[in-house]
Amino acid sequence: MSTIPSTGPHSPSSKVRRRRKFDAVRVMSFISLVIITFLMLLPLFFMVSTSLKSKREMLKFPPTFLPETWQWSNYKDIFDTLQFGTLYGNSLLIGGLTVVGTLISSSLAAYGFARYRGKGKNIWFMLLLSTMMLPYPAIMIPQFILFSKMNWIDTFLPLIVPAFFGSAYNIFLLRQFFTTLPDELFDAGRIDGCGEFRMWLKIALPLSGPALATVAIFAFIYSWNDLLTPVLYLSSSEKFTLPVGMASLTSSRFRIPPWHLLMVASVLAMVPIVTLFAIAQKRFVEGIVLTGIK
Amino acid sequence: MNKNRKRKTLVPMLATVMFIVLALSGCSGGKSAGETGNGGSGKGEKVTITHYTIDSEDRTFIEKLIPDFEKEHPNIKVKIEKAPYEQFDSKLQTLIAGDKSPDVTSHYGYGGFAEYYNKDMLLDLTDIIKEDGFKAADYSISEDLMKIYTVKDHTYGIPVNMYVTLMLYNKDMFDAAGLPYPPSDYEDKSWTFDKMVEAAKKMTVVSDDVAKTQYGVDFTWAERDMRPLYFGAQPYSEDTWTNGGVPSATHFDSPEVIAAYNKLFGLINTEKVSPSTEWSKSVAGQNGDPFVAGKIGMSVTGSWSLAGANDFPFKIGVAAVPWNGDNKVRSTLFVDPLLILKGSKHPKEAFEWIKFLLKNDIQEKSIDLSGGTPPVSTKAAETYYKHFDGIDPADIKNVYEGGVKYGFESYNHLVTNYSQINDMFINEMQPIETGHKTVEEVMPIIQKKITEIIKR
Repeated sequence: MSTIPSTGPHSPSSKVRRRRKFDAVRVMSFISLVIITFLMLLPLFFMVSTSLKSKREMLKFPPTFLPETWQWSNYKDIFDTLQFGTLYGNSLLIGGLTVVGTLISSSLAAYGFARYRGKGKNIWFMLLLSTMMLPYPAIMIPQFILFSKMNWIDTFLPLIVPAFFGSAYNIFLLRQFFTTLPDELFDAGRIDGCGEFRMWLKIALPLSGPALATVAIFAFIYSWNDLLTPVLYLSSSEKFTLPVGMASLTSSRFRIPPWHLLMVASVLAMVPIVTLFAIAQKRFVEGIVLTGIK
Repeated sequence: MNKNRKRKTLVPMLATVMFIVLALSGCSGGKSAGETGNGGSGKGEKVTITHYTIDSEDRTFIEKLIPDFEKEHPNIKVKIEKAPYEQFDSKLQTLIAGDKSPDVTSHYGYGGFAEYYNKDMLLDLTDIIKEDGFKAADYSISEDLMKIYTVKDHTYGIPVNMYVTLMLYNKDMFDAAGLPYPPSDYEDKSWTFDKMVEAAKKMTVVSDDVAKTQYGVDFTWAERDMRPLYFGAQPYSEDTWTNGGVPSATHFDSPEVIAAYNKLFGLINTEKVSPSTEWSKSVAGQNGDPFVAGKIGMSVTGSWSLAGANDFPFKIGVAAVPWNGDNKVRSTLFVDPLLILKGSKHPKEAFEWIKFLLKNDIQEKSIDLSGGTPPVSTKAAETYYKHFDGIDPADIKNVYEGGVKYGFESYNHLVTNYSQINDMFINEMQPIETGHKTVEEVMPIIQKKITEIIKR
């Protein structure tokens, strides 16, 4: 501490000057970042602001920036208009189980593709990847017939169970990650008497935090936003998911859609995604720190 | 430490999740099996029919009518199955392919009656009607309307709702421009297309300031391919209307049709009294209507726009679609039928439900429950005319009666493969609106493409 003042009379001033220069760049970049952030947040701002407007104000053009009267009751009305709580719960349940299913099945398959040696492994992998090219409408009807024969119509099963059978994109993503894990770790495990399943569980998974977090986010967002599959398989309204309910708000060609309520639904629908991102982001950093090898 | 704990909890967590999934599957599997057992056993006399409709308040109100119906028909249970508008057709096709066909529906999606008919989805109702002794007159449905969904003397659908084309006008904008309100009487021959353009010019303000820009008229009469009909030109051959919607010839490159489109697009490009699609979208959103935002003086549109009338932040009136020479067709009719699908396992019970929905008192009740869906019954119509605040019921009655007299059923219900035709029209006509191509350049291409679509 005492060494700092003793460095002489010249150095502090030059230090200050340098710091000032440095600061100017930082301030500039900070300002531009703030501006860009505001631009990015503008749609979000309008979403929240519209969610607090009255039906009459929502039709105004040019639109008002802030609500003239803050209609907080919109946040109550959405629960009366849609069975919002039920829909939300359904979506969360399906989304959560989809994430679990995708993580288990895709990481198992990916582990196999990454670490096993076997004849024709690459051909199988190519075959797997080629399923990514099949658009959903192409398998829509055969899959519906299959599930309807299993008596799964109007249950959540067609929306959850397929996740437990892997998804090509996520398997690909995890396989790429698993192949980067050093062989030595697995050799060491094998010497200590670890079986393959145990190596997947105790070596591969704990080291793949970031990749698993990415897959979890992808799986959740996909399931959370999916509209067509729930529309096809669910017929009782108490089983509908959030996107189905939100789509029906704009379904009438003959009415002005209640945009203000739709914005309320959108604000609330964003919450789990933002939360998941916050949690996964932490894991993301943690994963990189813990691996220590990459 | 932390890491170890996490690892330890992972295994039981996975196990629990697996258990939940298994329990869930066991549970629901059993339930649905039981349900189908009851429905299909035939032991009990009770049958369940499914009515498939759009998930929006103006359609799903029929759920509220079920208790009354089930009281009258204790052996029939009605289930409503719904889908959002955009997914309506996909779900219907999938249900039919998966042998889970609903019993009753209407053409509420993009595909119209002709598309359903040509895909062989519809049950021929002729025998059921004969057996039942159903007479349209008993339900105050005119024979003309019954003919719309009759193909070669076979009836495939029974009308339930009817929309006409009308002109909505913004009274505030008329007052500001000092113009007299247009008449609602269809026989008033002083109300012509040219007069409409004249009035529109007085209301149009094109300014760099978006907030100030407003247009006089938005002439969205029917779908794009039908618009020549308003100018007396026939784009589809006459046999289209009698053989189930497959035209033997189309005339989209004829001089009459080209002249008609030139007059229409002239409103945007030469007269500059109508907005372009881009402008409308920027003001009112993707599928929005700029009239609602108070930026259009007169809007020629379907009568469904009335349903939102009570929420508009300005005063509105209804007027007749203007006279244009000696044109016979001035209004597009949008008559929605109730249809029984071929896959229905209980067509007779489904027909009972249809008859119930058509009863005069139920049609009257439906107006309020749906928030203003126009009934097909001429008796119940009187109640409908009075439904809208701030608009003179006499004007609505005039516009409805004139609309029916000078009306032709919308092509989107009557021409096959219509969803593809409509998409093609929207895409091909885009450059005309933006001024990049002329009508003369585009119409031969449309004529060629439409021939291909119809052959599919």
